[in-house]
Amino acid sequence: MPDQNGPFFEDIDMGDEIGPIELVATDENVSTFCELWGNPMPNRFTSQEIAEKSGLPGPIVPGVMSMAIMSQALTDWAGPESLKDLDLVFRQPIPHNKPLLISATVTDTREEDGENIIECDVLMMGEAGERYVGGIAIITLPSSGE
Amino acid sequence: MYLDLHSHSVSSDDSRATVEQYVKWVQVLRNKRGCTIDGFVLTEHRKFDFDKDYSQLAAEYDVLIMKGSELDTRYGHVLVYGVTEALAKDIDLGDVKMDARELMKAARHHGAIAVPAHPGRFGIGLVDYMEQGETFPGLNMVERLNGGSRAGENERADTLCQEQNYLGTGGSDAHLASHLGACLTSFPTDVRDERQLVEALLAGDFTPVWLKDAK
Amino acid sequence: MTMELEYNRDLYGVEHEAGPFEITADLIQIFNRSIGETSAMFTDQATAQAAGYSGVLAPPTLVTMLVRNVELPDIELNFGVMRFHAGQRVQSRAPIVAGDSLMASSHLKEVYPKTGRSGTMVFTVWETTFTNQDGTVVADVQESYASRE
Repeated sequence: MPDQNGPFFEDIDMGDEIGPIELVATDENVSTFCELWGNPMPNRFTSQEIAEKSGLPGPIVPGVMSMAIMSQALTDWAGPESLKDLDLVFRQPIPHNKPLLISATVTDTREEDGENIIECDVLMMGEAGERYVGGIAIITLPSSGE
Repeated sequence: MYLDLHSHSVSSDDSRATVEQYVKWVQVLRNKRGCTIDGFVLTEHRKFDFDKDYSQLAAEYDVLIMKGSELDTRYGHVLVYGVTEALAKDIDLGDVKMDARELMKAARHHGAIAVPAHPGRFGIGLVDYMEQGETFPGLNMVERLNGGSRAGENERADTLCQEQNYLGTGGSDAHLASHLGACLTSFPTDVRDERQLVEALLAGDFTPVWLKDAK
Repeated sequence: MTMELEYNRDLYGVEHEAGPFEITADLIQIFNRSIGETSAMFTDQATAQAAGYSGVLAPPTLVTMLVRNVELPDIELNFGVMRFHAGQRVQSRAPIVAGDSLMASSHLKEVYPKTGRSGTMVFTVWETTFTNQDGTVVADVQESYASRE
């Protein structure tokens, strides 16, 4: 069922930019995630000391969690049932407690097997332009006529 | 004309962009962003796609699509334009430890040209190897503008070109559709295929440009 | 010569299974809390039921957390001393809702070398398919790990 607050397929055009949407992964968020994920703590995602031993400046956000954050930003915009494919490359360690700027650029719009598909390049960046995560997303959107 | 001399399609393991998405993105750059981009070279990692034919897409979207390679060497990545079957028989395109000097020599022997990619890239660029004392006799051009560079890396390439009097190309290093065209190479003459691209590079009359300047 | 990788190629075509994983409303709630998810379809049962689901919807990447529960064998790669998570892909095939019970099946997809800023690396890609209690494939997850010299 389409999210009536989300965009319609007809509203979207190639080259459209979405975001940036700003999110933050706090220490508490990461700890909660690791606990659920089953990753014994302390670890390099939660401990300054262990992170430094791994050659990192501080604890980082797990790649799996960064994907969840990207997904959240996209479903927030397009609707909870919209995200069909999210394919990401983890490029740089992501710090805790810093703004994560998530943006998407529409690179294709098409109708396929009765679905309205939009394809986006997606990026998670830091405030200083760090490219933490990049990839593509395939999203389906309702038609305004439905 | 403006050509992006460095891009990767899904034929490369780390790219997520199809060639069709690239040609569609060129229309966005032309029609929505007011930029000029005439074509691009697919420089796939560690391979050359002899079997791929993009002529129909190229004609449909009025975009010049050329094929090349980006090969891994022990002295960094090297873009190769004008790859032939004879060259691919002479060198192993998948050899990540090949000597870049041998590659450059083999490329010229077979009518192709090898251009070190992103020479300012930390840890893997030509600048690092030259600082370690390696020399590359006969080299006269590198990729000066690379769209995938981090802060400081294109500046290192600039310095290299100035100090060594190298010619410089430009390419986006796109792995995603919307990154295509971020950097381009401007040619005063028309290039219609890979052979003419090699000739134009050998002629030395070209400049690297950012997309915003391609208007 | 192309870099000759040594690893256990017999692993191709072998499925490694795990589960069942019970997708409870609590599990979804904790996942939501960890990323600050507040969408009503993921958090409110009444909203999800009004949309025709039997329980709250699971955010599409929740399954990625379950992959680590599949016991994957060592591929016996003769390369690298450091290993890190390089990338991930999730393809949603069907909705996952609270009350679902999922099985996972993983296989080795590919192993390949490349060089980057950090030198030569070898990438190992595993693919996991999640199936619900009705036998419906609900998601495919690909995880890519890089080994570095």
